[in-house]
Amino acid sequence: MAVSKSEGAMIELKIDNQIVEVQEGETVLQVALRSGIEIPSFCYHPCMSIAGNCRICLVQVNGRPKLMPACNLPVTPGMEIETHSNAVIEARKAIMQFISLNHPGDCGICDKAGECKLQEYHMRYGDYDPLSIEPKSRMPKFYNLSERILLDNERCILCSRCVRFTREISKTNQLGIVERGSHSRVERLECATFDDPYSDNVVVNCPTGALLSRDFLYKSRIWYLETVRSICTGCARGCSVNVWRRNKNWYVRGSGADKNLLAYRISPLDNPEINGPWLCNKGFDLHKLTAKPRVLAPAIAGRDVTIDEAIEAARQMLADAKKPAAIVSAHASNEELETFKNALGDRVAIYTRQDYQPEAGEVVEDSFLIKADKNPNSYSVQALFGNQPFDAGKGHDLVLLWGDNLDYASLGGARVIHLSSFEESQEQPASVLIPISTFFERSGSFCNFEGTRNNFEKVFDKPTLVQHAGDLFGRL
Amino acid sequence: MTDARVFFNFEVTADSHTLSAYKSRGGYQALEKALKGMQPIDVENEVKASGLRGRGGAGFATGVKWSFVNKQSPVIYLCCNADEGEPGTYKDRWIFEHSPHQLIEGMILASYALHVRHAFIYIRGEFDLPWRRLLVALKEAREAGYLGENILGSGYSCDLIPHQGGGAYVCGEESSLISSLEGFKGYPKNKPPFPAVKGLYEAPTVINNVETLANVPWIIANGAATYAEMGTEKNKGTKIFGVSGHVVKPHLMELTLGYPLKKVIYEDCGGILGGKALKAVIPGGSSSPILKASEIENITLDIETVAAAGSMLGSGAIIVIAEGTCMVRLLQVLTRFYAHESCGQCTPCREGTAWMNKIVTRISQGKGRKGDIESLECITKGIMGNTVCALGDAAAMPVVNFVKKYRDEFEYFIEHGRSMNDGRLEI
Repeated sequence: MAVSKSEGAMIELKIDNQIVEVQEGETVLQVALRSGIEIPSFCYHPCMSIAGNCRICLVQVNGRPKLMPACNLPVTPGMEIETHSNAVIEARKAIMQFISLNHPGDCGICDKAGECKLQEYHMRYGDYDPLSIEPKSRMPKFYNLSERILLDNERCILCSRCVRFTREISKTNQLGIVERGSHSRVERLECATFDDPYSDNVVVNCPTGALLSRDFLYKSRIWYLETVRSICTGCARGCSVNVWRRNKNWYVRGSGADKNLLAYRISPLDNPEINGPWLCNKGFDLHKLTAKPRVLAPAIAGRDVTIDEAIEAARQMLADAKKPAAIVSAHASNEELETFKNALGDRVAIYTRQDYQPEAGEVVEDSFLIKADKNPNSYSVQALFGNQPFDAGKGHDLVLLWGDNLDYASLGGARVIHLSSFEESQEQPASVLIPISTFFERSGSFCNFEGTRNNFEKVFDKPTLVQHAGDLFGRL
Repeated sequence: MTDARVFFNFEVTADSHTLSAYKSRGGYQALEKALKGMQPIDVENEVKASGLRGRGGAGFATGVKWSFVNKQSPVIYLCCNADEGEPGTYKDRWIFEHSPHQLIEGMILASYALHVRHAFIYIRGEFDLPWRRLLVALKEAREAGYLGENILGSGYSCDLIPHQGGGAYVCGEESSLISSLEGFKGYPKNKPPFPAVKGLYEAPTVINNVETLANVPWIIANGAATYAEMGTEKNKGTKIFGVSGHVVKPHLMELTLGYPLKKVIYEDCGGILGGKALKAVIPGGSSSPILKASEIENITLDIETVAAAGSMLGSGAIIVIAEGTCMVRLLQVLTRFYAHESCGQCTPCREGTAWMNKIVTRISQGKGRKGDIESLECITKGIMGNTVCALGDAAAMPVVNFVKKYRDEFEYFIEHGRSMNDGRLEI
């Protein structure tokens, strides 16, 4: 069995008669999770402190009269753990009954249904005849914690994951549990909004449907969706994300077919080297970043042409230019940069730039995930082409502009071949405008600010006339 | 009052709580004796030899508890648990009101034994006179040089920091007392780590009850052997018992451990109110299982005997219940208390206490249904042993025992919608 190399003596212990070798200092739950032994848990999260409050992970330890919570049980030599003894099964049923006691059971109208831990454990461990005939207690329902998050206290099981997230991970301390006993409820800071820049993580980490994203609210049942691995292009951190698109088997036919090409939501993809299981709110809004008006047809001086005409015109211009230059996009993938270098690297003067700058109101940089460079691949661009901004004084007569957000006027009167994904308002149209795909429409890799290489996959097919930048350079 | 030696050994007057009164009855001599002639380990050994056991309810040997602490640790804390909240208990309050210096001296001695520089007194928020008396006593002690830097020229320094609780019963549980002292919500902590290893501010911490600490000066002054002469083989010394309920003269009394319970009720407290028969006794605060009249015949007040009868000596709060009391309504009072005081951190206690209260309340309103008793039994099974702290067990135990021992009353109430007795708690 693979064990990471670190200090601490090795210990052998038995879980369900299976001998496991572990390191001193680990807990039984960590060992079980790693060894594929099933112990249920609500409140445990590997990145946060141990709360030990849900009590669903109770296991039996040899020689101890009481059941112990596996999440807070350090391994000791010779320990024998039983995760499916009668006592454990009875205790789990009891805990499930307690947890469900005041849970409204409104899965039918709950967005979390299908990915809800409570639902899952209820099916697996909730095999009991419900005893309660009391009316369920009432709590605030569908309460807006912020513009992004909805809170339903009735569905909350008080696992305190969201509270510990704001205390220990995002460190804003904006959530807490108020009142005592069965009146306990999650509440945000008084006289404030829940404007934590990482607030959406609490939705992902909520084991029930108590915290919901207002953006995704009632957009889709999650079993109609599937995930594609991608990368957030919001900053140079390059967090791994899952993009949720509609599963082909559930495509809508007829009216509403546009739903088939929608990125429904973004969730963090656990990547210990880059972002862990977290993502900032900008990352959760990644699908909105690409939902801007697109350039869909090639044009020469503002006149729509066929793609072959556009490419031929660009090739001719490059061949005729006396002093051609190229500005490389920091949103290009490593593969595209490689093709560009091979095809044009020695024919043009190459400048680099960062397409996007921090916007007003945006968190520029913090000590957690968010980086000041708002482009995903500056690292590779600079490694290949240096860090030379465009110099209008050099007298370039032609600029191959690759990327977004640059005013042609700043190019010193040079003619422009623009490879662009999004519509931009320019005073003069580009000499040649070729639409290129966004990162949602191709696969590839980015290197984040530390140089860690990370892959993204194609989420959607590109529109017909849009080109992949990597396919163009060979033809110029 | 033949047994009054350690605490009730003076006549309570308007100023018996002052430093001069305390000194006139031999106060602070033990401290002088210890600081001048004993090493810290001697004090610990003396307490260990005395056989003193915790007076807060669990009855753990005090000297042994002290010996668990790693004395090499750079910081060690002592906390005095004065969050006296167990229904029926009112003994610590008396110590604060009439002999606060006894506690202060005991705490300095314990701090000396444990190498503690700063010790804390976590006092129940509702205590007003005790709080004021404690503040005055601390001021007096500081001015007299018993507290602060270089106590009595010994080179040992110690400070006591009083802290008022916020009114939560659960903060009498040692780990939530620590949470509360640290400034957090009074949630109990998971164990391990135990406070003796990692307690207040992550330093090794000893938490002792008021009465336990107030015993220490007497032990040091008179010697462990004299203390150990009192009591039974395993329960040394005297303890304060507070009798309440349906007795003619409910009051506090100091009794040698091993004193017969019947004598307490019928002689010292003047028997049952109105000449009624005894129905039941709750011997150690509301969390301890109830004992029927027939079960207390031969009970003496020491931890082992009461445990053998199926209950707990606990904090020494004896609640006497006369014949004619409605046990359903009495249990409803208790379940309401625990549902109100559950901190809400862990699932079984948060949901279970409220659920039990709903059921018992419903029965006591005459809306009981068949199956309610079985539900209660099932809920208690789900709570007991599955919670973070002992409050879950404390809440479940009365329910288990009331339902077991007075099942007929519950069945009658459910069937007829009214009490088998006249439904009153008062006599």
